[in-house]
Amino acid sequence: MGATEPQWVLMATGRSPTNIAVIKYWGKRDEALILPVNDSISVTLDPDHLSATTTVAASPSFPSDRMWLNGKEIALSGGRFQSCLREIRKRARDVEDEKKGIKIKKEDWEKLHVHIASYNNFPTAAGLASSAAGLACLVFTLGKLMNVNEDYGELSSIARQGSGSACRSIYGGFVKWCMGKNDDGSDSMAVQLVDESHWDDLVIIIAVVSSKQKETSSTSGMRDTVETSPLLQYRAQTVVPSRILKMEDAIKNRDFESFARLTCADSNQFHAVCLDTSPPIFYMNDTSHRIISLVEKWNHSEGTPQVAYTFDAGPNAVLIARNRKTATLLLQRLLYTFPPQENDLDSYMLGDKSILSDAGLQSIADVEALPAPPEMKAPNQKFKGDVSYFICSRPGAGPKVLTDESHALIDSATGLAKGV
Amino acid sequence: RSPPSSLPPPPRNSRLNSMATEAQAQWVLTATGRSPTNIAVIKYWGKRDEALILPVNDSISVTLDPDHLSATTTVAASPAFPSDRMWLNGKEIALSGGRFQSCLREIRKRARDVEDEKRGIKIKKEDWEKLHVHIASYNNFPTAAGLASSAAGFACLVFTLGKLMNVNEDYGELSSIARQGSGSACRSIYGGFVKWCMGKSDDGSDSMAVQLVDESHWDDLVIIIAVVSSKQKETSSTSGMRDTVETSPLLQYRAQTVVPGRILKMEEAIKNRDFESFARLTCADSNQFHAVCLDTSPPIFYMNDTSHRIISLVEKWNHSEGTPQVAYTFDAGPNAVLIARNRKTAALLLQRLLYCFPPQENNLDRCV
Repeated sequence: MGATEPQWVLMATGRSPTNIAVIKYWGKRDEALILPVNDSISVTLDPDHLSATTTVAASPSFPSDRMWLNGKEIALSGGRFQSCLREIRKRARDVEDEKKGIKIKKEDWEKLHVHIASYNNFPTAAGLASSAAGLACLVFTLGKLMNVNEDYGELSSIARQGSGSACRSIYGGFVKWCMGKNDDGSDSMAVQLVDESHWDDLVIIIAVVSSKQKETSSTSGMRDTVETSPLLQYRAQTVVPSRILKMEDAIKNRDFESFARLTCADSNQFHAVCLDTSPPIFYMNDTSHRIISLVEKWNHSEGTPQVAYTFDAGPNAVLIARNRKTATLLLQRLLYTFPPQENDLDSYMLGDKSILSDAGLQSIADVEALPAPPEMKAPNQKFKGDVSYFICSRPGAGPKVLTDESHALIDSATGLAKGV
Repeated sequence: RSPPSSLPPPPRNSRLNSMATEAQAQWVLTATGRSPTNIAVIKYWGKRDEALILPVNDSISVTLDPDHLSATTTVAASPAFPSDRMWLNGKEIALSGGRFQSCLREIRKRARDVEDEKRGIKIKKEDWEKLHVHIASYNNFPTAAGLASSAAGFACLVFTLGKLMNVNEDYGELSSIARQGSGSACRSIYGGFVKWCMGKSDDGSDSMAVQLVDESHWDDLVIIIAVVSSKQKETSSTSGMRDTVETSPLLQYRAQTVVPGRILKMEEAIKNRDFESFARLTCADSNQFHAVCLDTSPPIFYMNDTSHRIISLVEKWNHSEGTPQVAYTFDAGPNAVLIARNRKTAALLLQRLLYCFPPQENNLDRCV
């Protein structure tokens, strides 16, 4: 107990998924509290494929709060981090680790500083909502460390103040972020609609599109839209509310046709209000448009939608297929149109790589041998190199604690991020 | 800039005897006209009546100088013609479509007596029903360039037929008839800045264009069009706007709530030569038009990455100057129509455009 007391480092490690909105969040009614102008609905992606892992450590020997993201130290001074830290600390309770002889009382947490190390298993530059995963993970893991009461609604509300869409990454499956009515945002949080097993036929393929442009940040972009787009309030007040109800029904009933129509329409309307902004915001590019055309043509020729598409604040396509069989047919069409630049098929598909062999694609030769899809009219154009790579995933679970110390990103002896 | 004009009739044939029936049966009466195209700055997109081509909102356009972009049409009538025929840019085309038939019918209704004393041709009002016409039209700009060739073409057809058949020159009526050929054609009946009033009547009798100001009112403006290479076949305006009306939740809100306010502000801006307001409204309305296209099911993309780069170039320059130098607007295709406040500004714009888009090269990095 004696000389070793100030040396202790208490740690917790958690892993959180990212999520993709199918009814979009775009526009705040309160910038500071991050309160949206409409509800949104998302699907949580399988954290085995895309996730943030965060270790938080507390120790009396830490002179200040510090954070490392993907191995690089970053500033914690921003309002969003401070909000999350403050709100979790408010709710901290007594913690006792008998084995290590650590006893922390509720009021001690105020004086204890934390070290945070976080790592995304997907590239930040890929525009795949890393802040949603990261901030949800931070809040969840800090909550575990500080023994915060496991009220997921409250955790969601706190994560919201870090990054709006992070509040939806507190749950798995399909999630709705209720916009709330209160000015203080106390009722603005996410709820789970259904868990990840409800509709587990769905297969998700993400096309990471090569982008040379620096994207307009979501935060400033949506603020410009609220301030300058005449169409935005109409969308938020008149269009989205009924889409939310229809989408909830579609998800509950596993009605893929309705799900797909709503998903595509809402993605397009989100991009429409971006275009209606002054100055206009273009997130999709010609490659994004080609992917949409590919899907629209196929859906039309089959008579009923096979695949839904949705795009966030960037050119990447998130494609949702009704089942694995459809996903393989989709993949054949995608690889026909967007063959890999390099002769390396293995690095062209991340996540669930087995989808490649399910689609009969073991080698570049198989890709080159793909026949033209019947619904495509001549001439069939190919766009090699327009897609950097694909990720195959599925709806997945919410945040989890990782108990195995080998997953910890902080060295329990030094209290510093590993490998820095 | 100038309104459609008619050229004098061809020289008389000295062989003709004004009383000979044979000579009478051989005669060919012609008229030739030239009409400009126009570019909408507050857009027409969406009909409330497909057959009569009645729009869901007003629109405003600027007529382009026909010296640069125009349709030229010759119409000829003769008892020797067994049927109506038309040639467009040298190729014979069908006149069976509703739009051509509407224009021919409406002009014929209003035909009056015509007499060419020198050639001994005398046509009574009621004769026109039995006379067939041959029409040849030519655009001095490529049809595939997406530069509203049907607006120029139908306006020219209606105007020139009107001249041939001695129709009373009520430009409002001619506009209303041209509208039934192609909506935006009704605005090519005038020069300068033109407004197409959507009208209220179900029969479309009050849906026609009026001139706001003539081409000399704001003649500082310089227009530069960037014809963007497009490998895609564009969605036709007719089917595209129908899909938008049927499937876009945002379209009616645009038509009923946003456009009316913009029309009034645009009229003011034009009247006062207020370039800043003009530019902001023009860019905003172009973008909103493309926004409702994107809000359509399936979505319609007319602009491409090059169009976006041009917009970025203009937005950045306008921002750095503090006040807009250039307005941009895009129709149903990737071509950029850029309107500069004056020639000096146009020269500076051109330098920027050619820096980013030098001829025959694909040097994208230079303009991000």
